[in-house]
Amino acid sequence: MEEKGAAPIDSQQLLEHLAQVEDVAEEILTDKQKLIDLNHHWNQTREAMRVLQKDKSDNKQWVCMGNMFIKMEKKSTSRLIEKDFDQTAQEIAKTRTELKPKLSHIRDLEHKEGIKGFHLQPLSKTEIAAINELI
Amino acid sequence: MAASTAEKVQEVREVTRIERIGAHSHIRGLGLDDALEARQTSQGMVGQQDARKAAGIILEMIKDGKIAGRAVMLAGQPGTGKTAIAMGMAQALGSDTPFTSIAGSEIFSLEMSKTEALTQSFRKSIGVRIKEETEIIEGEVVEIQIDRPATGTGAKVGKLTLKTTEMETIYDLGQKMIESLTKEKVQAGDIVTIDKATGKITKLGRSFTRARDYDAMGPQTKFVQCPEGELQKRKEVVHTVTLHEIDVINSRTQGFLALFSGDTGEIKSEVREQINSKVAEWREEGKAEIVPGVLFIDEVHMLDIECFSFLNRALESDMAPILIMATNRGITRIRGTQYLSPHGVPIDLLDRLLIVSTSPYEEKEVKQILRIRCEEEDVEMSDDALTVLTKIGMDASLRYSIQLITAAHLVCRKRKGTEVEVDDIKRVYSLFLDESRSTQFLKEYQQEFMFSEVQDQMETS
Repeated sequence: MEEKGAAPIDSQQLLEHLAQVEDVAEEILTDKQKLIDLNHHWNQTREAMRVLQKDKSDNKQWVCMGNMFIKMEKKSTSRLIEKDFDQTAQEIAKTRTELKPKLSHIRDLEHKEGIKGFHLQPLSKTEIAAINELI
Repeated sequence: MAASTAEKVQEVREVTRIERIGAHSHIRGLGLDDALEARQTSQGMVGQQDARKAAGIILEMIKDGKIAGRAVMLAGQPGTGKTAIAMGMAQALGSDTPFTSIAGSEIFSLEMSKTEALTQSFRKSIGVRIKEETEIIEGEVVEIQIDRPATGTGAKVGKLTLKTTEMETIYDLGQKMIESLTKEKVQAGDIVTIDKATGKITKLGRSFTRARDYDAMGPQTKFVQCPEGELQKRKEVVHTVTLHEIDVINSRTQGFLALFSGDTGEIKSEVREQINSKVAEWREEGKAEIVPGVLFIDEVHMLDIECFSFLNRALESDMAPILIMATNRGITRIRGTQYLSPHGVPIDLLDRLLIVSTSPYEEKEVKQILRIRCEEEDVEMSDDALTVLTKIGMDASLRYSIQLITAAHLVCRKRKGTEVEVDDIKRVYSLFLDESRSTQFLKEYQQEFMFSEVQDQMETS
């Protein structure tokens, strides 16, 4: 061990650093799982909206809330679901944008170089179409 | 774990790097430690510690973006590692930084004016980093169901069930999607991605779980894992393109095929101006990043006075790359004039340069370089042979002795040996003349050659 030559690293400091890294890593993984769950939910609401849209017969339907079935007006049901749908979409977008700084943060903690072009704004559709000929 | 996530989010396209000389294929970097001190032998570099240290400092300046409008000149005798240092700098800059290497005489062509050729190589050395963001649906097709209307005509309707390892969902399909699905011949068990913006469907392959569905399959059937995570994904790709590439695309008469044929011809200055302003606009909006690269002009004394004054001006531009020049000339005539100047470069341009000089290698270093080259060329050589070769390298030139390595290796193979011995070296040494022996030979037998100038001079005098 003598050949390393460096002063012995303070184990307390090392532990703290590792805990910090693990903390951020945990957050990222949670966020990723959250994204999956949200997406699952979002797809379900989308399916429900589609079913309601197609159904032209009855005025009232069964809606499952928690562990209870309630018969509800079609209009209010679809309004409810649509609201839920939009909210989920917003939540997904929010989680995604929050994920980015966390990723840069963990790379910083791990002393890795930041990903190139990570902070850039994406090009618009037409601009990308023009560039795509090149790529 | 998190790092792998990061890699999934981003892919960085590499800019193709042109390596002009195989003689420097062993160079992997500048061989500096963290404190910018040069290690004696590292990353294929040997000796030249002062020059390498200077190059390392310049590299730091490049990385900090602090060296616009200036240039670097590597000056030194032939065979002292100028090109090697330039290659090392290019390697150390990383794969994302554009590096263009040209020789001074490359710009003289009938198809293109000199300044056009220079401008093109300038713009080849400036990268623009941009990001593409797409929303995609990625999953394995569980079921695809298309209902044809009973009447035979009218809109078809259908359903597509997609799944990932985590979820499964049903999409209702419209007329257009059904058409593109049939066109792509998508069936249950395929892994597909659907671009949300354009509706373009791409088949990635078949799911591994379906690998046993059929015994006979087309040779191009590719099996892939069922995708993980959410169905709707956001994919970000970062591209680095050079300004020259954008120029070529936008130069109307050419079209993008010109990139591949290599013959781009001249590009109108209006096109360049348009692109400059577009890129500036992107930069303002945070959509693009300029990556100043490195333009390396070898044998810079071959440029003429017009080129030098052009360079003077071009370095002023805020989009100028870092210019590295190399020359092996002393005080000599500037091409295109009658004036003498150090390195054959006008004084006003010299004034803008950071000049790094290289000095001849010492015997120990020559031996080390030869050993590295032996390794690079897969040649095994005995210690004695290496010592002899080093001696030759010191007496004749380093290049000559490097050339002898492969030649001696062939001779060695001819006699079915495994290790190059002194005799092999002796043999190739007698077969191939070095520069000084060739000169000596010419001096002795000058009269017997055709168009001998010495003879003419003797006649006239």
